[in-house]
Amino acid sequence: MTDIFTSKLSKSYEDVLAVDSLDLRINGEIYGLLGPNGSGKTTTVSMLTTLLSPSSGSAQICGHDVTTEPKAVRKCISYVPQYMAVDIRLTGRENIDFYAKLYGIRDKTERKRRVNYALDIMDLNERADDLTKTYSGGMQRRLELAQALTHQPKVLFLDEPTVGLDVIARKMIWEHISNLKKSGITIFVTTHQMEEAERYCDRVGILKKGVVIKEGTPSYLKSALKSIITIKSDGKMPNILPDNVDFIGNENGSVVYASDNGADILPSLIKKYDEAGIHVYSSMVRDPTLEDIYLMSVGTEAADTEQFNRAQIRRIIMKG
Amino acid sequence: MYRFATYVWRDTIRWKRAPLNVLSTLVMPATWLIFMGLVMPVKYDNYLDFVTPGILVLTMLTSSLGAGSSIMFDKTLGYLNKFLALPSPRESILIGKIVFITIRGLLQSTVILIISILIGATIYPISTYIGMYLLLTLFGISISALGTTVALYLDNHDSYAAFQAFVSMPLYFASTALISLDEMPTALRYIAEFNPLTYAIDGLRDIAKGIIPTFSICFLIILAILIMIICSWKFRSITIG
Repeated sequence: MTDIFTSKLSKSYEDVLAVDSLDLRINGEIYGLLGPNGSGKTTTVSMLTTLLSPSSGSAQICGHDVTTEPKAVRKCISYVPQYMAVDIRLTGRENIDFYAKLYGIRDKTERKRRVNYALDIMDLNERADDLTKTYSGGMQRRLELAQALTHQPKVLFLDEPTVGLDVIARKMIWEHISNLKKSGITIFVTTHQMEEAERYCDRVGILKKGVVIKEGTPSYLKSALKSIITIKSDGKMPNILPDNVDFIGNENGSVVYASDNGADILPSLIKKYDEAGIHVYSSMVRDPTLEDIYLMSVGTEAADTEQFNRAQIRRIIMKG
Repeated sequence: MYRFATYVWRDTIRWKRAPLNVLSTLVMPATWLIFMGLVMPVKYDNYLDFVTPGILVLTMLTSSLGAGSSIMFDKTLGYLNKFLALPSPRESILIGKIVFITIRGLLQSTVILIISILIGATIYPISTYIGMYLLLTLFGISISALGTTVALYLDNHDSYAAFQAFVSMPLYFASTALISLDEMPTALRYIAEFNPLTYAIDGLRDIAKGIIPTFSICFLIILAILIMIICSWKFRSITIG
């Protein structure tokens, strides 16, 4: 049985197609859904977690259909939304106990055992009886993961799990997520953090305007590109590029190009700069990263979807 | 359905641990009572006895409308989405909210009843108080369900606050809280006769006189059932859509 299975899953809002014919097969892995704002990530997660009903197509979680058996789906999943929502006037332990009760664990001893286990796994034991408002962002996120673990889910949905956290807290969260996978949980995560996705996800899908345009292991996706050239100049780029060189985007004030063979092509590229009268400060050839693949796939027009995203979020909030 | 009690537990702890909230919910109605009961010019034998039901219902009204802002908080801060993805029955979120808010309103009512006795209101037999609590519970359920329904339709706190202000004061002044129906200007009386607050307040006054207010009770039961039906329908439609 596939833990997450979707077939032609689509969602439209009025005249906008937010998610378009999504086909996913996810099992026993960390799957990262990447995409710019408004590409349909949150809509996808909302449909898979039974918060939104699909306009067409179907989705099954642990073999249960999200539309016809939503309760069975909710029994085998846990969902941690993007914006942190822990009760700050409750202690860490109370926050987890609250969820354990809602998950229907009525036996007191069993509940205590599960709560302690969740606290243990997320390294929250020492501060378990402090009010959550004294927790750091990273600890609050870990507390949310602990809440999600009390009913031993088969599938865990995480919407932007490291947003707003510092580097150390991010690393810690991802290490916990990796450990959860080892214990047999399938993890579906949406993220903007390419380097995190590259490092921790087994497979990623790149979503653009509701369509998965690339899918595979990070190394497989990267193998499509041979090398990356970055050139720092006085800000402009030549109108004419050598053959086999593609413009990808901008990165820290440098222009980024992709090419099959960067080292060989670099001199001719610099020559184009010279011909255009642009001064090159520095140039570099390196191996591609997932971020390069992402930028190449979604393109620079991604920023245009900001307005749609806002409307979409508003709608989701209104819909509760 | 026992899980609604878990939501009640959560709201109670959150409320208890914010001392300022507790203080304001308890002191506010007491202030109203003292001002209205003692400061207003006395035309009645015991104006305090006349005005206490009005203050009780006003307190229940403001308190119960708080159910809407509470669910609005859960909605905008992301709690609601987390709750909706849980396997526990979704209606228990709604019932938990209404039960918590109604209990909190009854607590406030108790404070008012105690203070009213301390400053000179008549002490009734225990059965009268039981009747009063039953009526206030019915009223509390109706209004908190109404507040919740409206909050589910609106999308931010500002609009809900506007609704609250728009509804509570006119309803209050166009009721029999401060003045009886016979003494009202005709125009106001027409509004007051259709105002649920009037039924709750006059019902309480009848109970105090030892009369069972059958009509008020029926009216409030029907109102509570109607609003609960609309509320759960709306709740279902937003959570499945």
